[in-house]
Amino acid sequence: MGKKRHLLLVEDNPDDELLTIRALKKKNVLNEIVVARDGQEALDYLFGEGRHAGRGRTPPEIVLLDLNLPKVSGLEVLRQIRANPATRLLPVIILTTSDEESDRMGSYARGANSYIRKPVDFGQFGEAIEQLGLYWLVLNRGPKD
Amino acid sequence: MPASPTEGQPPLFPPLQGRHLIRTLSIALLVSALAGLIMFYITRAYVIFQAERNVENLLLSHRAIHLYVQRDMHPALYRYQAKGELSKDFYAPELFSSSYIVRVQHVFYNQARLKAGLPEVYYKLAADNPRNPVNRADPQEEELIRRFNQDRSLTHYSRVVEENGKRYLFYAVPFLANEKRCLKCHGRREDAPRQLQERYPGQGGFNETVGRIRAIESIKAPLAEEYRVVTVVTGALLAGVLTIVGLFIFSRSLHRTVGERTEELVIENQGRLRVEEELRQLNQELEKRVAGRTAQLEAANQELDSFAYSVSHDLRAPLRGINGFGAALLEDYGPALDEQARMYVERIQAGCVQMGELIDDLLKMSRLSRGEINRQPVDLSRLAAGIMAELQNAAPERRAKVSIEEGLRADADPVLIRAVLENLLGNAWKFTAQVEEAAISLGKTEENGVATYHLRDNGAGFDMRHADKLFAVFQRLHSPGEFEGTGIGLATVQRIIHRHGGRIWAQAAPGQGASFFFTLG
Repeated sequence: MGKKRHLLLVEDNPDDELLTIRALKKKNVLNEIVVARDGQEALDYLFGEGRHAGRGRTPPEIVLLDLNLPKVSGLEVLRQIRANPATRLLPVIILTTSDEESDRMGSYARGANSYIRKPVDFGQFGEAIEQLGLYWLVLNRGPKD
Repeated sequence: MPASPTEGQPPLFPPLQGRHLIRTLSIALLVSALAGLIMFYITRAYVIFQAERNVENLLLSHRAIHLYVQRDMHPALYRYQAKGELSKDFYAPELFSSSYIVRVQHVFYNQARLKAGLPEVYYKLAADNPRNPVNRADPQEEELIRRFNQDRSLTHYSRVVEENGKRYLFYAVPFLANEKRCLKCHGRREDAPRQLQERYPGQGGFNETVGRIRAIESIKAPLAEEYRVVTVVTGALLAGVLTIVGLFIFSRSLHRTVGERTEELVIENQGRLRVEEELRQLNQELEKRVAGRTAQLEAANQELDSFAYSVSHDLRAPLRGINGFGAALLEDYGPALDEQARMYVERIQAGCVQMGELIDDLLKMSRLSRGEINRQPVDLSRLAAGIMAELQNAAPERRAKVSIEEGLRADADPVLIRAVLENLLGNAWKFTAQVEEAAISLGKTEENGVATYHLRDNGAGFDMRHADKLFAVFQRLHSPGEFEGTGIGLATVQRIIHRHGGRIWAQAAPGQGASFFFTLG
């Protein structure tokens, strides 16, 4: 049996991981958070392969996806999510440091639902995560709700 | 090194040499001389032939008179003697002698010729056995008489003789052969008329035999006129030949000159082609080098891109960590920290934010200095007014007098020129923050046909001694305590201006405002 309502955070930087989880918890986003630390792990988790083989196929509620990832890049992860019928409609929010136009356009072109740049200022960062959680996990009605 | 154009093949035309010219001229002269000689002989032969015909005509005419005398007059005279109207003893050369009559009539002929302006023609009837010594043949004439008697097929004898430096045509024909009736006066003396015997006492003219040729008739005609014709004709023809030879040589020479000139042109042309080829190769090489440099630059640009990306991502991540954990420290353990400790953590966080801005500005400069320039007409006045309005809105408490010249237009990249104006106007706004009433103006002057834009403010200004640092990255002429900023703005502005092919410079004094001037290429 797979997990019920949960969130997949794809993040290789342990600081960002910790701060993101802290911000989400702080803002009372109560869902369970699964962390994948590179692109391949994210794909394995989503498609029940590799380490996650036999996990079951319950997809996460949303995916918070960093772009600059080891092994498989964020953009490639996004492409494969959109290419697979099981995850085709999964909300994917790009959460990245990059403000490059190529990354932004590339993300939207591959079907990202949102693109959020991580600010340096933690106050702003916390605010962004709070709003993100509120919007996607509370307000937004997903395709499978 | 390209091969010489004449190498390995003979020249189009051999060069003109003195030896060659002399040979050509000699051949030409030889040919002319030969042609002249041939023409001379042909003409002379023809002229003499014509003269012979004329002389022959004359002799035939004389022959006719001889025959008239012998065949018409003699029978008539004998008839008169037979009738008794004339004595049988009568003889008078004026009436009986054809040689006498023809000789005399020839005298009249010559008189007529002289009267007509023609030279005299000499006529002689020469006999080896003459009755009248006048007709006595000289040895040469005797020889001719003998020859004509021996060879009856000979019709005439002709040759050109020279006497006293003058040329004559000597033409002789055999006289009529003796017939039986001739012997009446040329036979035995005792058979001849009495008055004939009395007039010519000797045996001259008697004792002739039938069939013998007893005389020749000869004409000696001057050839001066004919030779003049020969000279004139030969001269004319020779002149013609010489003209043709001359023309031929001239034509050859012209031909050779044209050939040489053509060759020169060919060589010159080949030289030009060679230079062209070299230029083309040089051009190709240059293009190749440009392409190589471009590729290098593109590679460098790509490296810069990935570098900027790394800077953006990798430098900001730890900053965010420091800032985030600082915040977490304050939030979670704030009460446990004293005032001083909290202040330190806040300074750490402020440093992180400042560093984040620096990174952002650096990335912005890097982005603005790359990529294509997309020039199009831009309304600078409207753009500047919009930026000033935004600045004023952000600080409505500030008093400012903004004067922007109407209708300032430029051919520039709209995004980049906006960044320039944002930076310059932002600076002007920033550095006039401490004056009572800010005065900011934007205008344009034409200098040597180049549009020069100027932006003046009455702000803090700066010391011109440091003007060289104005446009360098991270260079600031004011301390962070006075005015905030990353020191990247003007460096970005200068890069954009340079990319437009323009120039930017400044005039200022501390406390007296600053003026920035720029062109856009």
